[in-house]
Amino acid sequence: MTIFKDVLAELFGMFVGDAKLSAAILGVVAAAALLIEIAGVEPLIGGGVLLLGCLAVVLEAVRRAPLSAAATLAAPPNQS
Amino acid sequence: MYTWSTAAPAISAAFFASLVEVVEAFTIVLAVATLRGWRPAALGTAAALATLGAIVLALGPLLNLVPLHLLQLVIGILLLLFGIGWLRKAALRAAGVIPLHDEDAIFARETADLSEEVKRRGASLDWIAGIAAFKAVLLEGLEVVFIVIAVGAGRGLIGPASLGALAACALVLLAGAIVHRPLARVPENTLKFGVGVMLSAFGVFWTGEGLGIDWPGHDLALFVFAILFLGTGLLAASVARRPFAETAK
Repeated sequence: MTIFKDVLAELFGMFVGDAKLSAAILGVVAAAALLIEIAGVEPLIGGGVLLLGCLAVVLEAVRRAPLSAAATLAAPPNQS
Repeated sequence: MYTWSTAAPAISAAFFASLVEVVEAFTIVLAVATLRGWRPAALGTAAALATLGAIVLALGPLLNLVPLHLLQLVIGILLLLFGIGWLRKAALRAAGVIPLHDEDAIFARETADLSEEVKRRGASLDWIAGIAAFKAVLLEGLEVVFIVIAVGAGRGLIGPASLGALAACALVLLAGAIVHRPLARVPENTLKFGVGVMLSAFGVFWTGEGLGIDWPGHDLALFVFAILFLGTGLLAASVARRPFAETAK
């Protein structure tokens, strides 16, 4: 049972290790899909949105991590 | 018949991703073998490989039932979630924000945990060691199975991708048999950075194909995406290094 739970936790962690990051990626995919399927724009433009959106997500996800880590370091020890 | 430009990215992505995962599993199997001998380590490993084989045999044929565009879209999104997650972590490790993966430390911790468990439950319980090896190989192996399916399924390249993964297993086993200690000198974060770049590039490619996008240059677009993700990852690591270093001072 523990092994089964560990397997499920591993699978969950593989794809949703960071909820904000996962939400941002899914948002970019949804935006590209909406542009192509609903707004009817040229698929390649939707592809550009998908590619640039994912690159922006990488940059932002890495940029914001040290700010929160630094804030944790700077916080007084008794602050929860 | 596969062309080099089609098969090479799938084989190399499967090879390098599997290399990282197999090194991690090997560290724990070696800890088990050091503490309790090779028998429980080998039995646990064999049982995990059999379980993984059963999962592949059970799920593999189901992939043929899924329409190609839907399969590409689902695999593409999963690859984006997985690949960008790896790339983010590797960039943060390169920037010094989170510590590097240390195989020697993991080996020492795993050995201590196992010793503690064996002391608590009695010295004859080889199955504790076997279960530890089983779990390590199963959990790391699941990632290998996903990566092989993900980079191979969209173009019928599961065979070549599997060969890439098997080559990584053989290389780690060979190196492990020679040095007989954790493979701590493998540049794991550099590999993870590279694999994150490749999986993210595959993710954009397959998601786009699933949405009906006909990428200019077809498979060659993968190389352009990989270069863009590599540049962005390096830029992100250098941006992350600055504020963290300043505040940490």
